[in-house]
Formats: sequence, structure tokens, C-alpha cells
Amino acid sequence: MHVNVGLAHLSNDFLICTVVLYSLTLLAYAGDFAFGRHSSKAEPAAPEVPELVTAGVTAGVPAATAAAGAGSGSVSGASGESGPVPGGGAVAATPGLPSAAGRTERGRGSRLPAGAWVRVALALNVLGLAAHVIGVTTRGLAVHRVPWGDMYEFVTAVTCVAVIFFLSLMIRYRAYYLGLFVMAPILLALGLAETVIYTPAGPIAVALQSYWLAIHVTAMTLATGTFVVGAALAVVYLLADRYARRVADGRQPESVGVFRLLPPPEVIDRFAYRTVMFAFPLWTFGIMAGAIWADQAWGRYWGWDPTETWAFITWVVYACFLHARATAGWRGRRAAYIQLIGFGCLLFNLLGVSIFITGLHSYAGLS
Amino acid sequence: MTGLRVPPGAKHPGQQAAPELGQQAAQRPGPPAEAPDERPAAAGRSPFGTAGWLRWAWRQLTSMRTALILLFLLAVASVPGSVLPQQGIDPQSVQQYYVSHPSLAPLLARLSLFNVFAAPWFAAIYLLLFLSLAGCVVPRTFRLARSARALPPPAPRNLARLPQSARHETGLAPGEALDAAAALLSARRFRLRTGDGWLSAEKGYRREVGNLLFHLALLGLLGAVALGGLFGYKADRLLVAGSSFANTVTALDEFHPGRAVSAADLQPFSITLNRFTASYVTSGALRGQPSAFHAYISYSAEPGSPVRPYDLRVNHPLNVDGVKVFLIGHGYAPVFKVTDGTGQVVFNQAVPFIAVQQTGLTSEGVVKVPDASPQQLGFAGVFLPSAVDVGGQLESVFPAPDNPRVSLVAYAGNLGENTGPSQSVYQLNTAGLRKLPIAPRPLAPGQSMKLPDGDGTLTFTGYQQWVSLAITYDPGTLPALIAGMAALAGLLLSFFVRRRRMFVRAYPGADGATVVDVAGLVRTDAGGGFEEEFDGLAEAVRSAHDGHGVTAPAAALAGTDNPARTDPEGE
Repeated sequence: MHVNVGLAHLSNDFLICTVVLYSLTLLAYAGDFAFGRHSSKAEPAAPEVPELVTAGVTAGVPAATAAAGAGSGSVSGASGESGPVPGGGAVAATPGLPSAAGRTERGRGSRLPAGAWVRVALALNVLGLAAHVIGVTTRGLAVHRVPWGDMYEFVTAVTCVAVIFFLSLMIRYRAYYLGLFVMAPILLALGLAETVIYTPAGPIAVALQSYWLAIHVTAMTLATGTFVVGAALAVVYLLADRYARRVADGRQPESVGVFRLLPPPEVIDRFAYRTVMFAFPLWTFGIMAGAIWADQAWGRYWGWDPTETWAFITWVVYACFLHARATAGWRGRRAAYIQLIGFGCLLFNLLGVSIFITGLHSYAGLS
Repeated sequence: MTGLRVPPGAKHPGQQAAPELGQQAAQRPGPPAEAPDERPAAAGRSPFGTAGWLRWAWRQLTSMRTALILLFLLAVASVPGSVLPQQGIDPQSVQQYYVSHPSLAPLLARLSLFNVFAAPWFAAIYLLLFLSLAGCVVPRTFRLARSARALPPPAPRNLARLPQSARHETGLAPGEALDAAAALLSARRFRLRTGDGWLSAEKGYRREVGNLLFHLALLGLLGAVALGGLFGYKADRLLVAGSSFANTVTALDEFHPGRAVSAADLQPFSITLNRFTASYVTSGALRGQPSAFHAYISYSAEPGSPVRPYDLRVNHPLNVDGVKVFLIGHGYAPVFKVTDGTGQVVFNQAVPFIAVQQTGLTSEGVVKVPDASPQQLGFAGVFLPSAVDVGGQLESVFPAPDNPRVSLVAYAGNLGENTGPSQSVYQLNTAGLRKLPIAPRPLAPGQSMKLPDGDGTLTFTGYQQWVSLAITYDPGTLPALIAGMAALAGLLLSFFVRRRRMFVRAYPGADGATVVDVAGLVRTDAGGGFEEEFDGLAEAVRSAHDGHGVTAPAAALAGTDNPARTDPEGE
């Protein structure tokens, strides 16, 4: 089919813009850590579980926010829900965790309101995402199909999904301090896509000419993009947990280090878990759609092709994660490591199998 | 499935705040990924006797820890199957591996590493895993069925200590207030239980249903795979344009029947390949990449039934009575005419060549002429669809037959077909052959090469295209699809249905009005969004009590106990 060269070039330009904008976004997130005004003393690093905190808060009447309660010098009103508090709005804070209440209110991850640096970063992030979406869309329009037919397109689409998912998570839960840690790997992946594995726009292999491409690969794209966010969150969780334990042991003063600004580890862990819970059914559906397609294209729904095998391994490891997280003695760090192993399998399937192992799924355009 | 259920937040101080809640939670089977269940802990009492040992072993097997380890083992065991060549997928690569690793290969073969997914140890892992799964899920299913009418637990004493709570006052008497709340929650399909001054309600049982459905569906999937392995079959057939075949064991190149399939079970259709066309990208970076394949075939479902045309394409298989025919490969078959030393035409047919290089479809093949006299003849050749002279050497630069050339090396002697192991039609056994001294010269269609010493002549008369067809029958496909969809539905239910409880207590307040406490509890830390639902429900209960005297706005409950309340049924 004819490739619209103009649109293809437009797509390239927008994706380059995306890389630039994401780089600036990252700088702004980093700038917030370096120069943002945080009153670190008011932020105890002791782990805290949100439900507990909300327990003392009357439904519908959020208590005083963290910033206010903690007497932080930052802009007050961390939680947009906070309003006049009729009837006193008493916070039944547990003794020993004086200012913990608002900071994790309702499981929200924010400890602090968005400062100027964060607002700039968010604006750049959204702008970059807009360029990203346009870049992916124009690529699809240029080649008259879904724009995830080869490895380059797949990575650009996956990173796009990851950014959309993460931005909505971050904005909804005001977890702005995760921005630096999650956007960094996404930028790295997109940068590699633009430089190392760039493939010019063109028609796809005959075997891919099926409406199942739109179903199977779309599901896999969505799932992968979400798993990317989950893996980044798992890494942040491990770092935050390590920091929290060091502080608890007195090995590290709580006012030092970038991790003091992160939400408590339990909150990050819950983000990661919910992210995987969102992605896992998508991945399951993707495998099933792939099986149906394989039955139609190759005459068997499952043939232990290397890519199928690794998709299965990935599925099994993430299933392990889901079970482990629900099992005593496995939740927490061990579960996070299992999740990272699962993501490693996914990455190996994406890169390792495409490059080193020949199979029926060798469409990546990498040689 | 799981092990010890940890009450949500067991590690945090909230447990002390609401101990009765934690106990309740611990007694009940939980949601899947969450806090599942009642898998016994791997530990146990000290066993005695055979029955004791068996019980101990069964507990071990069905424990969550064992299931996790088996699941991990399954993942690890799959890895060699993707790294080493597999007999069932790519037998030629296995042969190649034997050649390149002569000492290692037999060892790997003994460990079934060339056939991982049919290996006994692989089967042991997944059968144990499924046994463990069944041992956990089946009893839980019965328990779920029995508890279909079970009531939620009584309301805790102090509702203010629950994660979600609200308080308001109303002019209704406590009993009336509870009745109104009960009517409201019942209308929203909560399961209700009432007591003296309290009301508890629960919803979201489909979470456990979904969890069990998912795991049972996995067992169903295993059954579907087994069904295909017993009653299905796979076959391959290479078909040159202009020729036909019938679906019988002798006409098939490869035939892999299921364990319960005999030759008589093959559906008796026949297929003729009339014409094959391939189109390729002609310019740009992807020049030479195929863009479409069409195999125009005629088929008849059984002898004597009408012949129908079909345009067989990739992703568009032919379905004959449940048997599917797929287009999985294509190539060129140059046609040769061989006249032997006695002047007889001893060979005149198309010979399928196999592509050895994709961008130009350079293909290799052999021609065997056993009927030639005085001696048998053999040729090993290369077919170039679009031959171009590149630095003195011919290369094919495009897969379409724009400038076809054949280059052959001729042999004479004994082909060795009547002795030794059976030969591949794509290989020449040169042990009994001698290479004929003729300078290789690429032949265009119509050109001939004359063999020395009056051994005869070979003419390259033209070429045909061939397709390779995969023929599969798998009665497990539909059951597998159904099991897969059930698994997905179960997964979604168990992930996104919240099991939640609402509690209401009504009691006389100090000023004569009735105080109503409403509290909510969600039995998962994953779903999210319960806060909003609780706010809505609490608000609805308050509005239901509205208009009956004093109604204070929702106010925060302090974490203090209300001494006025008593709960006869509380623990």
C-alpha cells in the first residue's frame, strides 16, 4: 500500500519534538528535587498505610491537609478535596505519627502540593505527550494501519501508552515526585527507538495483514505500556523502602536524600500493584487474541514459538507476583522483585527474542 | 488461591484499632489475588502413620507456597524450549545442532531438551501444578456453593474505627432508621443481616466467583489441549501449481496424528493448486518485501462432491468440514526435461527448490534422474528468480521471477536410492556419484546443457511456483476458546469486583434524637474507588432518614467509644 511520505516525515518530526520535550520535563522534575521548596522536617519518613489514616477522617469531610497540618511552608491545600470542615473535622491521628494524616489521605501519594517546578514539569510532560500522540497517529495515517507493526513503531506506541497511564495516575493521586523516576526510563526507551531501531514507514509483512493485528498487538501494546509503569514503580518502591528502613534503623537522617520526598513505600507498592492488576488482564487478553490469530494464520493456537513461550513465561511470572503479593511472607520486597523479573521476561521477549532467536514472530524489522 | 490470609493492613496499627474486624477477615476466604484464601499454610502438625503422611503431602501440595514454586518452575522450565531448537517446531535446526555440537547434543536429547514441552519433567511440573490448583479450587467451589446463603458478620461495636464511617442524627426511632437503611441497601442488592440496634450488609460475592471461575477455566484449558492432542492431527503438503493431492496419509509429506487418530479418520477432501501469485514491494527501503500472496485452489470436500474454487491467502485458511488448510510457504519449482544417453526422455517435471535467502528468493534444490541410462544422473542447482551480474557473480536481487536463471552441477553414477536409509528429496547423496566436468553456466528458460561423454541433455524448460500447505484438525480449539474466555471473565470479576461491607448502628442520642452511625469496609486494597461509593451510600442513608426531624450534617466521628451501645451478638 502507498505510504504517505509527508505524513511519515511529520511523524518523525513530532517524535523528535517529543524526545526534546520529555528531556525538558525530566529536567524540570529534577529541578524540583534540587531547587524546589520543600520543608523536609515536616515529612516523617516512617511508613504509613493509608487506610489507617483515612480511618480517622469522616467520610466526605477530609481532614486538614498534610501541608497545613504539618505547618509546612509550602502552599497549603495539598488536597483539592479539602474544604471547610464543619463539625470540627477532628483527625484521629495515631500518636507517634503526628502529621501523617493528610499526606496519604485516601491513598493519595502526595506529601506536598505541586510547586512551581512541578507545574512546569507537568505542563512540559503534557505538551510532550501531545506531540507523542500526534507522532504515533501520523505514523499510522502515513501507512494506513495501526502504528505498531514493527519494533520502532511498537516502542513509540508503548512509551506513549506508558506516559498516558502514568500521567493519569500521577495527576489523580498527586504523586508528582514519581515523575522523575518513571519518565526517565520512558525517555530512555523512546530515545533508543529514535536512534538505534528507527525504521522508515512502510507496509507490513503479509503475515501481519489481518485485523487481528489491531486486536492482538493493540492489547499487547497497552499491556506493555502499563507494565513499564509498574516496573518503574517497583524500582521506586524498592528505593523508597530501603530509604524508609534505613531511616527506621537510624542509619540515615530522614532529612537527607531524594527519597525523603517520595510517598511512603506502601503507597508506591499499591500503585505498582494496581498497575499490574490493570495490565495483567490486558496481557491475558493479548495472549488469547494472539492464540486465535495464530490458529487462523498458522493452524494452531499454541505452538511454543519462542515469542509465545516468553509471553507465557511473562504471564506466569506476573501471576506469581499477583499470588505472592497476597501471601504472607512474600508481599513487599519479594513481590517487587518478582514483578521486576516478570518485566525482565517481557523485555527479553521484546528485544532478546526478536534479535537472537528466529521464530514465527520475527517481524521486528531488526536485522 | 493463596496461603495465609493477611488481614488487610495487618502490620499497621489499625489492627489494634479494630481487632474484631481483623479476626472476621481472617476467617473468611478472600478474593483471589488479594487475600485469597484458605490454602493451608505449608506447615502442619506432626504427621503420624500413612494417612497422616498422605494428609501432610496433600497439604504441602495444595499450599500456596508449593503452588508458587511450581508456577516459577513452569516458567523456568519453558526457557530451554525457546533457546534450544525443538523437534516439534524446527527439526532441521535440531539436526544442525547435532552436527555442530556432536558431544553435547545426545546429552541434551536424553534430558528431552529438544522436546521440552513434551518432556516428562515438564509434564510433571504442570500436572502437579494443576493438581495443586484443583486441590485448592475444587473444595473452595463447594464451600462457595454452600455459603451462597451465608450472612455477613455482625456489625462491630465501634463503627468509627472502620476505614470509612459517617454519623448523622434523625428524628426516626432507631428501629425505623435501621429499617429505612435496610430497605435502601437491599434495593442495592446488598445481602443483609440485622440485630439489636445494628445492621450489616455485604456485596461483591462475584469476586470469589470470578476467582474460582478463572482457576477452573485453567483446568478446562488443560482439558481442551488434551482433547486436541488425542483427536487432532497436523499435516504438511507441498503442492506445485497444476497438481493435486487427496488428504490421505500416503499423499501427505508430514503427518502427525493425535494419539487416538488413525488413517481412516482423515477427512477425504482433495485440493488442486491452479495458480499462485505473489506481489512484492518494488521500491523504497522495503523493496522485495512480500505484500500479498494468493493461492488459487479448487477443492472438493469428498470424492464425487462438487469442486469449488477458493482464494487461499495467509490469515484466510480454507475450512473443509472442520479441517483447516493454511498457506504457510511458497517457492519456485524449475521444470527440467532430461534426455539420457539413449535418447529417451527420462525426466520431465517441476522440481521444488527451497529458498535459502529471502530478499531475492535464491533457491536450492536437486534433480534426481534414476531412470537415466547408461548411468543414473543427479543435479544440484541454484535457482535465481531475478538474476543480476554483481561483480562477475550472478545474484538474485528481487524475489519475483523477472530474470530467472538456473545454475547446475551435474553428477553421474549411482544415486544410492535403493540402499541405505531413505533420502530427502532435497539432498543428493554424492557417495556413489562423480561430478561431471562441465563448466557451470547459468541457464535461461529454454536453454539446455549437454552432458559430456554422451550421457544426455538437460533442458531448463521453465518454472512453476509451489505452495506448502498445513492441514490441521483440532477438536480442542473451541473448548480452549471457551475456557480462555471464561478465564478472562473470571480474572476481570476477581480483579474489579469489590467485596465490601456496610454497617449501620442506630441508638438514642443524648438530646433525644437517634444517632445513626454508618461505616464501610472494603476487603481489598486493590480496587480503589470504594471511598466514593461509601460516600454515596452514606449520603443516601442520610437522605432516607431526612425529613424526619433533626438531621445534623455529616460530622466526623471521633475515635471514642460510645458507651450507650451494646451488642448482644458482638464478640
